[in-house]
Formats: sequence, structure tokens, C-alpha cells
Amino acid sequence: MIQHLDVDGVPTLLAPTGGPMRAGLTFRVGTADETLSRAGITHLIEHLALAPLGLADYHVNGVTAPAFTMFHTQGSEADIAAFLTAVCGHLADLPVARLDVEKDILRTEWSSRGAAAIDDIPLWRHGARDFGLSSYPEWGLGALTADHLREWAARSFTRENAVLWIAGERVPAGLRLALPSGVRQPVPAVSSALPQTPAYFVSGARAVVLDSVVRRSTAATVFSGVLERELYRSLRQESGLSYTTTTGYEPRGDGYATLRALADALAEKQDAVLGGFVDVLAKLRVGRIEQADLDATVAKRQDVLGTAEVDAARLPGYALNVLTGEPNLSIDEHRAELKAVSLADLHQVAGEVTSSALLMVPGGLRADWAGFVAAPTHSSDTVDGTTYAAKQGAGALRIGVDGVTYLGTDGPLTVRYVDCSAMLAWPDGARQLIGADAIVLHVEPTMFNLHPAALPVIDAQVPADRHIAMPARSPDAIPQPSAAEQPAATPADRPWWEIAAIVVSGVAVLVVGAVSLLLTYVMVAAGTEPGEEWFWGVIVAAWLLTVILALPIVLLWRRRRG
Amino acid sequence: MIAAMPAPLPAPTFDAAAAYPEVNDLRKALDAADWPAVRAVFADRDPAFHTLLVREAGDHAASAAFLHRVYDDDTTDRLAGTLHGTHLICDGWRIRSSYRAQHVSRSQFEQFHEHLRRAEQVLIDVTARYPDDAAAWTQRITIARGLQLGQNEARRRYDRLAQQHPHHAPAQAALLQQLCPKWSGDWDRAFAFARECAQAAPAGAPNAVLVAEAHLERWLDFDTDRERTAYVRSAPVVDEVMQAGQRSVLHPDFVDRPGWVWVRSTFALMFSLTEQWPAAASQFTALGNLGTEYPWAYVDDAEGFTKYRAKAYAKGGQS
Repeated sequence: MIQHLDVDGVPTLLAPTGGPMRAGLTFRVGTADETLSRAGITHLIEHLALAPLGLADYHVNGVTAPAFTMFHTQGSEADIAAFLTAVCGHLADLPVARLDVEKDILRTEWSSRGAAAIDDIPLWRHGARDFGLSSYPEWGLGALTADHLREWAARSFTRENAVLWIAGERVPAGLRLALPSGVRQPVPAVSSALPQTPAYFVSGARAVVLDSVVRRSTAATVFSGVLERELYRSLRQESGLSYTTTTGYEPRGDGYATLRALADALAEKQDAVLGGFVDVLAKLRVGRIEQADLDATVAKRQDVLGTAEVDAARLPGYALNVLTGEPNLSIDEHRAELKAVSLADLHQVAGEVTSSALLMVPGGLRADWAGFVAAPTHSSDTVDGTTYAAKQGAGALRIGVDGVTYLGTDGPLTVRYVDCSAMLAWPDGARQLIGADAIVLHVEPTMFNLHPAALPVIDAQVPADRHIAMPARSPDAIPQPSAAEQPAATPADRPWWEIAAIVVSGVAVLVVGAVSLLLTYVMVAAGTEPGEEWFWGVIVAAWLLTVILALPIVLLWRRRRG
Repeated sequence: MIAAMPAPLPAPTFDAAAAYPEVNDLRKALDAADWPAVRAVFADRDPAFHTLLVREAGDHAASAAFLHRVYDDDTTDRLAGTLHGTHLICDGWRIRSSYRAQHVSRSQFEQFHEHLRRAEQVLIDVTARYPDDAAAWTQRITIARGLQLGQNEARRRYDRLAQQHPHHAPAQAALLQQLCPKWSGDWDRAFAFARECAQAAPAGAPNAVLVAEAHLERWLDFDTDRERTAYVRSAPVVDEVMQAGQRSVLHPDFVDRPGWVWVRSTFALMFSLTEQWPAAASQFTALGNLGTEYPWAYVDDAEGFTKYRAKAYAKGGQS
């Protein structure tokens, strides 16, 4: 059983455990509360709060997720009391002297984390805002000041916005949660960047991943297990197409949950994995769900509910429900709900999964044939403004008072200033605008015939708090129009006088050449009479004239080919 | 001495109804938009005949609206889904026409693909509900080819079907097309699959026709007549076509079950091309004036049929 207590005004949950004592302090704030231009602020505060503790394994004691941030530890009563008391102290009075060091550590953490294609899913579903922000680098770090952090901490790390959970016998003696007072923060509203679902996008990963949004329910958790069994049987056991087949179910905090499924694929079998995945989803969607899969999944969950540690194990999730205001069930209620899940319930969940689906497919494949629409990679509209042609190719950049559009051959990319989540700015003048819908627009001044006043317009229109200063690029990282692609003059480009000159010279060459030939022939055939040697001079002069007249043709011709 | 004038041979017909009277019943029921009658035609057919009738319904151009309506009335109905989906495929393929890819216009391609996508979504549901439906899976193999979903995906579809129907010749023929180089396959895989189908099926079954068909496709793919002639005269090809015939149409256990006109037509042509005239003549005799569009479309349709039949009878004797 989980007891509800209060420690220094913080709601506290206590459950017994047979193992070592554990405790955690969870706050209702996360990356989904941030903006792209301030991305990383919560994670930075989490690091600052832990940094002075100097624990070798301190990092595993902090988690920043989309909707919550948690500090947790395991050890003696005294250790736990000291840890949580210190964390609260640091949250209330941030050790900002370490700000720059911690920023560097976070940048290293980002660059060393393995970029998994699955990390892009939030961006495709939500855009460059709230629940989509976890796809992006922590671009806000550079501009964050001590004041920004204090303001964010005062709003988010308060006793009303926290829940303490303890797996152990009692609240550790000497534990002080000296947090400022504030208000419980609601879960941020969830945005969508998908005009239509089911949708798909192409990634470089060798896996098919399904991302879906379902109403939170026991049936949905069971469905996740049933889907995993179905994928394993179909893609691994029967056809040997996949090695890994997994599913996951995660409540989002707003009454809905994210339900995901993944099947990896050998490079040469990706088409078949996608096909098999689609057929597994179809089988469940039309309601052909195996009773044996339902029974096995329910039995497995019942087993978990039967263990002595069940209450201690569910404390973190329980705490989240308290923070987000979602109901918590007793173990008996859980058991009853599990028992009541029917095939019809699962069929209904299958419908929700398919209708909300966002499918990630390996490169070179599509899923439109299976009824998934392509997630937008271009904008549906353009802005009015001045158009600047690209120095190379057919593209053009249109800069207006409302926003910027890149007019490309595949379709336009538009970012309106009001919807601009962030603008990356390089010292060389390059800009990258990221729209709330995750559309990215590159402005490379070297690649367009831009008016000098054009860039300042963009800089002035994008609100200053969304500018992100980027470090200088090495000269070879700045794109340049390639010289080889300068268009060669074509015959059509030749001025009229060249044509005329060639024609006139050609006619003259023919006439004078013919005369020269005739004279030469006559002289050779008739023999040279004494006193007529001068005539040879005339012939030589005639031939010379022919060559001179032919010269312009040769020169013009060579110029054209050069 | 004046030789007796032989009676003129009947002109060939490639109309399935001439070989299978049920096709006529099917067309009448479709023309009358009489769904119970359509259903009755399909009742209790074996998978080979079922697939053949599904294809004939799909080819019945005037029935698009009727089949769509029947499907809309009950989207869970197995036959309605299969027929509507197949009709969409046949419509799409008509738009694409039989030209090779480089001769098809962009808008034709778009319409073709759109038809196939619609068909696929109908048939995904049919196979999800009825995973043992041979006709629906066979059509999905054809869709995979038209939409270029990939060699492995086509093979996966065939494997799903083969779990229930290990010797379904129409599906094997559909996959063989995919395995040919013209659809991004290669000859090694095409022949390996054809031989596998022939060997796995019992003696006297029609499946060895896949081997004959693979040789026919290989023959057609050469650029010059010289290469084509050299190919069908080479001993290994001649021998393998004969062995395939002996495992199927020339085997005492072979029976003319639905689909037999296509099987015998393919052997008649391949025996003719390999100049095994008595064997060719025996197939023409069994066929009478019956034929199928495939393979005769490869040799000028009825003209090729008539030409090779005359040659076979002259050189191999009319039995």
C-alpha cells in the first residue's frame, strides 16, 4: 500500500520495500515546457542542482524528461536525507558560479550521445515546440544567464510543483525540502505538426517504427503487449526478417499515452519488414486478435502486480499521476481492470493506434500504398516579398515583412516570423530559420544574389529572444557557388553581329578563294610566259587575302568553343 | 496425285469463357449486377479456379461501379473485397497498357499507381481478415510488382500465401514476373524459383509450367533473333523444357483442371520454340482452338498460335 504524507508542504508517497531504501523528488517541469531558443534550461538546472554534490555517479541521479524532472538516489536514511536536502537547497539558490562549466558538460553530453533515428519522431509529430523539443539540441544553452535560470527555477521547482516518493520504512530523519512556494504547473498543451494521420516519414534508420497516441487505459497497456507478441511471431519467428521487435507504452500526462512499436531490419530486407509490419497492424485493426496473446499479456501483468515490491516499483509512475492530476489505481483495481480487458477493447485500441499512427520507414521506402500519407516536408504556402535568385540552380529566396520562403523545385519552405521557433545566426551572415512546424529554411548569403539590406530585415523581424548565436564556421564550411557550373555560352547567346560577320567572311572567303584557285590553275595549266612572272605576285596576294578573310571565322569559332 | 485438302483448322480463341463455361455465368451475373448470382458462381471452387474467376471478374471492364458498390455495402465481405480490389488492379493495368516502363506517360503512371494503391488498401484488409485467401494474396503479389515495393516484399507475400497453398500456380507465375530482370530481378533467382516450384509440386501437377515460362521470359529478353534462336536450340534449354513437360502436361497424372489452357499454351509455345514438334503437336491437339492471352501475346497472339500449330502438325504429326 502507498501512504500519502506531507514533507515541508511537498506531497509525499511512502511504500515498503524489502531492498535498499530509495527516494526521489519529481517536479512537473520538463523539456516540453521550454521553447526552442531556451532549450536545455531545465536540464541545466538539474545539472547545477547536482553538481556541488560531487558524487561520482551523480548523473544517474537526475532525469530531465519531456513532462517531468526527477532527482533520485538510493542508500541509507542519512544519505537520502542529505542528498534531497542538498538538491532542494541548490534549486532554491542555484550555484550559478558553475554555469559555464555545466554548459560545456551538457554540450559534450549532447554531442556524445548516439543519435538514434527514433529521436526524430517527436519533431515529426509535434514540430519545434512542446513535446517536439526533445528531438532538438539544447540550443538555448549559449544565451542562458543566471537570471534566466533563477526565473525558471522559481516557477518550476516549487513545493506545489513537486512530489516526493520514498521506498522504505519512513521519511528519513533530518530531511528538509526547503523549496520556494509556487503553483502546480499544468502539462503543456500538445501541438501537432501532422495535418493528417495515419502518416509516415522516411528516416535513415534500418528499422520500422510506429508512433501512436491512444487514450490512457489498461486495455492500451495490454494492447502494447499483444502487439509485441504479434510482431515477434510474424517478423522474427515465422519469417526471420527482424531481430528486435519491441513495443512501449508511456503516459503523456494529459490523459493520453504514446504507444510505440519497433522492428529492426537487415539492410536487404527492409521492404519486407515494412510490408510485414503493415500486415501485423492490419490484422489487429480488423480485429483478428488472438485470445492467447491477450491471456498471456494479462497473466504477465498479473504476475508483476503479485510481487511484494509492486508498490515500491510503481512509486515513480504514481508520483507522476499525482503531479499531472491523473487517477492512481489500487493494486486490486488494477487487477480488476486487467481481468476485464476483452478482445473488443483491444480492437478499439487498435483503431486508435492506426488512426493516430506516424510510421517511420527506412530510406528509399514509402508507406503511401498502405494508406499512410507523407508527413509534410514542405510548406503549403509562401509569403509575399522580394525574390532573390539563387546563384546556382533554379531556387530562389523570397524575403518579406511576414516571413521568408525558399522557392525550391520540390516545393516551397516557408517560415513566418511569428511562427519562428528559433533562428540560428552565424557570424558569416548565414541564418537558419526553424518554424514551429519544424520546417527548416537555410539562408546562405553566398548562394543567393541578396540585396545587402535583406538580411537585416530578417534579423529585425525575428524576435530577438529567438536568435541563437552560432560559433564561426571554418571558411570551407561556408558554401560557395562552384565555378565549374558557370553556364557556357550557347549558340543562341551569340550576338547578332557575330553571325553576320561569320556569314560575310564566309561568302568573301568562298569568292576570293575560288578566284585564287582559278588563277593558280590557269597559270599552272598555261605555263608561265616570260614577262608574266608578276602575275604570280597577284596569285600570292589573292591567297593571302583569302586567309585574312577566313581569319574572323576561325577566331569567332574558337571564341565560341572556348 | 492430288493430296486431300485438309479441313481448315478452327481459328483460336483466347476467351476464357470458351474453356470454362462458368466464366460466362460470371459475366452474365456481373452484367445483371446480380450479387447473389456472382456469389453462386464462386461457391465451392478450388483455389486455382477461384483465382482464375477473380481475375476474369477483374477484367470485366463494365463492372467497376457494381463491384465498388457491393464492397461499400459490406467492407468485411471476403469476395466483395477481393473482386473490387482486383478490378481496380486490372483497371490500373489497362491504363498503364502493356508497354514497358519507358513508353508510359507520367500521368498514366500516376493513375496506374493510384489504382494499385487503392486496390492494395482493400486487399490488405481482405488478407488481414482471411489470411488463407489465395486469390487476394495473388493479387497483392501483382500489386507489389506494379508499385515496386521491393523483391523481398513480393517474396514475403508469396511466402504468406504458400503457408496455406504451397502449390498455387497463378501466384507462382505472378512472383516469377517480379523475379525477372524487367522488374528488377535477376535470372538466377527467377530460374531457381521456377525449378523450386516444379520440384516441390507432385508429378502431374501443372507447376512445372513455371520452368517453361522462365525460359520463355529469358528467350523474349534477348535483343536479337539470332540470340533468341541460339537460346531455344541449346541442348540444356531443350532438355529442361522437355523435363518440365514430362513432369506436368506429358505426365499420365496430368488432368485438365482450371488453368490448364494457360499451362498447355505455354508448353505448346515452348515445345514449338525448342522445335520439339511431336510434343508441341500433342499440346495443340489438347488445346483445340483454345488459348490464353499469355503466352500468345509474346508471338503476335492468334497469328503466332496459328503459325506454330501449323508447324507442329506438319512436323510433329497431328494426333
